[in-house]
Amino acid sequence: MTVAPGMRDLARRLLIYEAAANPLPAPSEPAALRVYEKLRQGVSEFAGIAGFQAFAARALTLAQTEAPGLSAARIAGDGSLQGLGEYGHPMKNDNDQAAESPADEGGRVLIARLLCLLVTFLGDALTLSLLRVAWPGAALDDYHSEHARKA
Amino acid sequence: MSTQDKVTIRKLSTGVPGLDEIVGGGLPEFSFNIIAGEPGSGKTTLAHQFVFANATPAQPALYFTVLGESAIKMLRYQQQYTFFDPAKLPGTIRFLNLSQVVLDGDLGAVLNGITAEVERFNPAFVVVDSFRTMARKPLSDISLQSFIQRLSLFLASWQATTFLIGEYAEDELHDNPIFTVADGLFWLRQTPERNSIVRKLQIIKLRGQNSVPGLHTFRITEAGVQAFSRTFGLTGRVRNPPSHRRLCFGVPELDNMLGGGVREGDSVLVAGPSGTGKSVLATQFIAEGLRQGESGIVAVFEERPQAYAERAANLGLDLETPQKEGKLEILYLRPLDLSVDETMHSILDAVQKIGAKRLVIDSLAGFEMALSPGFRADFRESLYRMIFALTGIGVTILSTVEVDESFTEFPFSTYSISFLADDIVRLRYVSIDGQLRKILVVIKMRGGNHAKDIREYEITSKGVVILGKRLIHYQGLISGIPIHSDRPASPDGPSEHPGTVDAS
Repeated sequence: MTVAPGMRDLARRLLIYEAAANPLPAPSEPAALRVYEKLRQGVSEFAGIAGFQAFAARALTLAQTEAPGLSAARIAGDGSLQGLGEYGHPMKNDNDQAAESPADEGGRVLIARLLCLLVTFLGDALTLSLLRVAWPGAALDDYHSEHARKA
Repeated sequence: MSTQDKVTIRKLSTGVPGLDEIVGGGLPEFSFNIIAGEPGSGKTTLAHQFVFANATPAQPALYFTVLGESAIKMLRYQQQYTFFDPAKLPGTIRFLNLSQVVLDGDLGAVLNGITAEVERFNPAFVVVDSFRTMARKPLSDISLQSFIQRLSLFLASWQATTFLIGEYAEDELHDNPIFTVADGLFWLRQTPERNSIVRKLQIIKLRGQNSVPGLHTFRITEAGVQAFSRTFGLTGRVRNPPSHRRLCFGVPELDNMLGGGVREGDSVLVAGPSGTGKSVLATQFIAEGLRQGESGIVAVFEERPQAYAERAANLGLDLETPQKEGKLEILYLRPLDLSVDETMHSILDAVQKIGAKRLVIDSLAGFEMALSPGFRADFRESLYRMIFALTGIGVTILSTVEVDESFTEFPFSTYSISFLADDIVRLRYVSIDGQLRKILVVIKMRGGNHAKDIREYEITSKGVVILGKRLIHYQGLISGIPIHSDRPASPDGPSEHPGTVDAS
């Protein structure tokens, strides 16, 4: 089961947006972790902690099959992500992609998987509403999942 | 206290077609309501519909989910309904999950959680789905009744219109102290009846409102819940005054027998055994109306509209063109699980849409079969309500009904519904000169003149055609086995022209 290119692109855009919004984060707090945290807060609000935790665990399991950098990551009982920051480095902009570390890639894959699950269960419209609340300034209007394009 | 001194309670649309009339014009603003029923009865869908219909950025809604259905799956399924507008989430309608609060704390903690969010978000509408799951917590600092009481007081003070959703079985309705707190109690039922499922809702109570009592059927479609009031949406509507206008069949001799036609707003019954031409006569009645510029509705249950129109075309009656012109609707009503109220809703919609003056129900037997088994038991009462409602708005109804051919009796209908008919035309077979021929007679015309003649007719390529004069050389025609009589017709005998008036 692979992630649609559109979803990977959306994950990458969120990571870049988050990195640009906070250019000097602590070394232990990569952009992927901050994106993940915002998703956790947004989804937990309506789905509950247990609801998000179950989603995140599924996303991590899927992501681990394609990103070895996630082997040490795990989802805690409260839904928080642990074990990613140990390897992660903040992504500053598009040009940094070439220097993406395995942990950066892992974070991006995990976020893409999580977004993919949200779209699968909630659809494009609700997922985008959720993202717009978490990233009010991000330009997301041109986003459509692969599934939505077919429709 | 004068009327102007009284507080005005604003009524909010429920967002559910048909329900506003049932609740007496709308849901009272700031009311505290409980939607109760068994799982799958449509409680959540009803609450969603209300919230999506009413919530605006200026008057947002808070939707608390507690233990029970997963919120993600609930949103996944609910967004399949056409009323669900994803753009309203999360700014206008905010979903909040309280599962963890319920698991970690007690009812007091839940109350605090709801209070904090309401104070933060300042919603005009609040839903707690489902509060019943909280009642199953074994230990709590406050009772569920106290929780509901305090929640009700708080939400009313915050000017929120509220729905609490709870799973309740039928036997929990009585003597439940929680229900005394609520301003409104909506009870949803889903009952299997043989192979059909019938959904009914009841407004057990609704303070300050003149809601319509009784059980109202409802259906859940892709548009959500649709309710069908027992009063057919005609509450408060003034009945049309009796009309003296006559509506013809387009069969000159029959119209003559009817004194110029049936009275506008009458309920007409055409009864007879299979093959005697009831549907043909009904089609001629509709076609004649169209010729006179009167729109019409035909409700068919036993054949598709296309087949009905094709059969009319064989009689030289064009039903296709008036359909295209919006002057005729042939309704094919989905069989087997209908309620009369639902059927009425479809008919009334069509009547109002095209301004129909004539309605044909072909046939009552097919209508009865299309109903869910539970409604068949009440068919007679339902017909009464339906005919009363439709004729009250000036629609002339012609119903066909099949009766078993008997050579010892002359029944008018198998439903004992002749009292519902203002006019009855009876068709039957009769054995004459080694042939099975057909006769018709006008049995009854309420308040009007009609001929007493028994007339022979045929069904031709032009429809029902009455032959010759009345049959004067036979006795016992209505038995179906007449005896030939050589006695000449008395010049003072019954006329083929109207001369009698029914006393009824």
